[in-house]
Amino acid sequence: MLFNSLSFVVFLTLVLVLYYMKLFNWTNKKRMLLLASYVFYGLWNPPLVVLLWISTVVDWTAGKKLAILEDKRKRKFWLLLSMFVNLGFLAFFKYGDFLLENFTSLMNVIGFDYEARPMDIILPMGISFYTFQTMSYTIDMYYKRIEPARTFLDFALYVTFFPQLVAGPIVRAKELITQFYNEKRATANEFIWGLFLLTIGLFQKVVLADTLLSGRADDVFGSKDILNSLDAWTGTLAFSGQIFFDFAGYSTCAIGIALTLGIRLPDNFHYPYAAIGFSDLWRRWHISLSSWLRDYLYIPLGGNRHGITRMYVALMLTMLLGGLWHGAAWTFVIWGALHGIYLVIERMLRSKIKIRINAWNGIILALLTYTCVNITWVFFRAREFSTAKNMIWSMFFLNEEGEKVLYMFDIVTVLIVITGLFICHWLMRNTSMKEVAQRTNQWVFGVFWAILFFLIVISQGSGEQFIYFQF
Amino acid sequence: MNLTRSFILAIILGLLSIIAWELYWRSQGRVPNIDDNNNLSSIQRAKLEKPSEDQVVFIGSSRILFDIQLDLWREKTGTEPVMLAFQGASPLPTLRDIVENTEFNGMIIVGVTEGLFFSTTFDKAPPISRAQERLDHYYDRTYAQRLNHYLSIPLQKNLAFVTVADEFWDSDVDLGTLLWTQVNDERAGPKPAPFYQFEDVSLDRNVQMNERTTNDTAYANTVKLAWQDMLSGDMPPPDKESTTNYFLKYAKKFTDRGGKIILLRCPSDGWFKEIETAGLPRTEYWDSLVFKSKLPAYHYDDYPQLRNLNLPEWSHLSKEDADFFTLEIIEILKKDGILTNVKTE
Repeated sequence: MLFNSLSFVVFLTLVLVLYYMKLFNWTNKKRMLLLASYVFYGLWNPPLVVLLWISTVVDWTAGKKLAILEDKRKRKFWLLLSMFVNLGFLAFFKYGDFLLENFTSLMNVIGFDYEARPMDIILPMGISFYTFQTMSYTIDMYYKRIEPARTFLDFALYVTFFPQLVAGPIVRAKELITQFYNEKRATANEFIWGLFLLTIGLFQKVVLADTLLSGRADDVFGSKDILNSLDAWTGTLAFSGQIFFDFAGYSTCAIGIALTLGIRLPDNFHYPYAAIGFSDLWRRWHISLSSWLRDYLYIPLGGNRHGITRMYVALMLTMLLGGLWHGAAWTFVIWGALHGIYLVIERMLRSKIKIRINAWNGIILALLTYTCVNITWVFFRAREFSTAKNMIWSMFFLNEEGEKVLYMFDIVTVLIVITGLFICHWLMRNTSMKEVAQRTNQWVFGVFWAILFFLIVISQGSGEQFIYFQF
Repeated sequence: MNLTRSFILAIILGLLSIIAWELYWRSQGRVPNIDDNNNLSSIQRAKLEKPSEDQVVFIGSSRILFDIQLDLWREKTGTEPVMLAFQGASPLPTLRDIVENTEFNGMIIVGVTEGLFFSTTFDKAPPISRAQERLDHYYDRTYAQRLNHYLSIPLQKNLAFVTVADEFWDSDVDLGTLLWTQVNDERAGPKPAPFYQFEDVSLDRNVQMNERTTNDTAYANTVKLAWQDMLSGDMPPPDKESTTNYFLKYAKKFTDRGGKIILLRCPSDGWFKEIETAGLPRTEYWDSLVFKSKLPAYHYDDYPQLRNLNLPEWSHLSKEDADFFTLEIIEILKKDGILTNVKTE
């Protein structure tokens, strides 16, 4: 089910009514939320709910065993079992065709005339998110960082909680399970703020991402020609905006919906396009994934505890795998590699050049960071290397003779939206939406909210899927 | 921070602005309409999951979609029409789908618009992909999509500004289309002529030409311009051989299992008729198909009463003449003994 759909409006209304009715006690309310979460997921593809159940049962059992076992080998067995099941799901459903394709290419390169039929495996929505979430529980249990979930119901709801089930934020057990132990009710203000976050999330998705930007990005990245530089840059900028508004929009909706239930989810984005440098970017972009990768991949790989070379290797590996997490294609690996290289270069420079950041050089450095990020988006968005190569060529060799696929009106629209996005991120860099809302006159705030609502309604859209659902 | 006032104000202003938006578009002559989208065609396709003898399936492109009026067909024949003709599409993928994926063995009436029927069998080409996309949606649709569709129907029926079409019409009033209408430069080439919606659709996919296109010549002329714009320039040549063979292969499979196929050529007029006559002459295409398939076939031009009907935009009949055409076709099929389970009046 999509947040930007009529069925979700009905679904959420029903859930909220049942949640706030005095009909159920807290345990039954949690059961209702769990059932609603399965319905939310099953309305997309009912049989794939079984994967959620398997993941839930395996990690619940592993967690229980890890809570009582002291034998190192047995503890390792349960950890590995959880990783085998969860990563096995990922490997089969997400990377099955990709692995087969590459195996076939390898066979052909070394001289075997091998051709495999594509398996055409359906990608379960949000599989990368919920498998990472459940694995984090078991890994934390293994390292004795957290207490086991008190009941199976609490754990199952942690794995399946519908607001963040299919596209995050990837919430850690200690942040979410403990909230299920005692009855939660949103205060009137929290409830209304949750609805506002839902509105602004939908505005980002429906109006900004789908209506104003996605078509322009599609026109540019769908072209097989060598493009005019202006088109290539506009298409890339449009995609940078689209993916931010799409994904941050989803996270904002998720946080808002959870808040209407009195549940707090962590922020997933903090104005990333105002980042100064790439370490800063990854503290602001998809925060729940980058912190997951840091805690469960980068640090176990050695982090910065074993010298500079090992740190760079750990960094590169983390970013390469982070790239692959986004999709089963080499273009995503390149995207991750570029980010890894940026981070390595940044750390090298940081040890040699000391810059005191102020407002003036800060915005220049933020703009430089954003420009470099845009180069990575080319690989992220392009379906094929040839498209990415053409785009990079057009962007950097100022190709005035290239094909023009965008109307000037579209270019101006994209540039206005992206300039607004960048300025907004810069101004909001050290603050939050809530702080700004608190400083705003309540009537002005109401009018602003009404405008967002009106624009969502008149944009309508056709219920475009969120980009990150496919990851 | 007390948000209650802001919330109440947002609700009041939000609702008022939507009411004003609806009233504005109604004042501009826009009326609520059902959109002929993938969900609507999937409901038709689903009817063939449990086929019955009294079903008649229509496949083809927009001409048969506009020209056969389903309510009249249902009333006069006692059969249940299943409309699986799609605008701008070839009937070939739909025929293959019915033959390969259903047990239906009743009657299929194939609307033959030569430019689409004989265009191609290449699955990425629009005449094929447009039909295939509709069929794929039937197989791929989620329960959430079905629910969204049913929930959208009251909105589609009652609100003029609501659009849930999969097709793009320049007359739509969603924000994206309104912005598109503001484009007035030619940087990416000349902007295509605007293509305004000219149909009224009901939930069973009965499509009629809307009153404005029938009565307002200027409006009808915009559709004519859009046709000329779309069909001018370099068009890929027809692929008569492979399309005919493709059709014959599945038609044989279908008739071998007891099904009946009827070929129907709906009227065209004006510039459309001229380019069709010049580019896809009857003797070379229609007659050849009829000869090779040996199927019962009906060309409007063979019936004097069907020759001079009203096609306001050259390609589709006005509602009144679509009614007439439907009744005449039923009579002709009755006379020829093709419609045997016809209701007696």
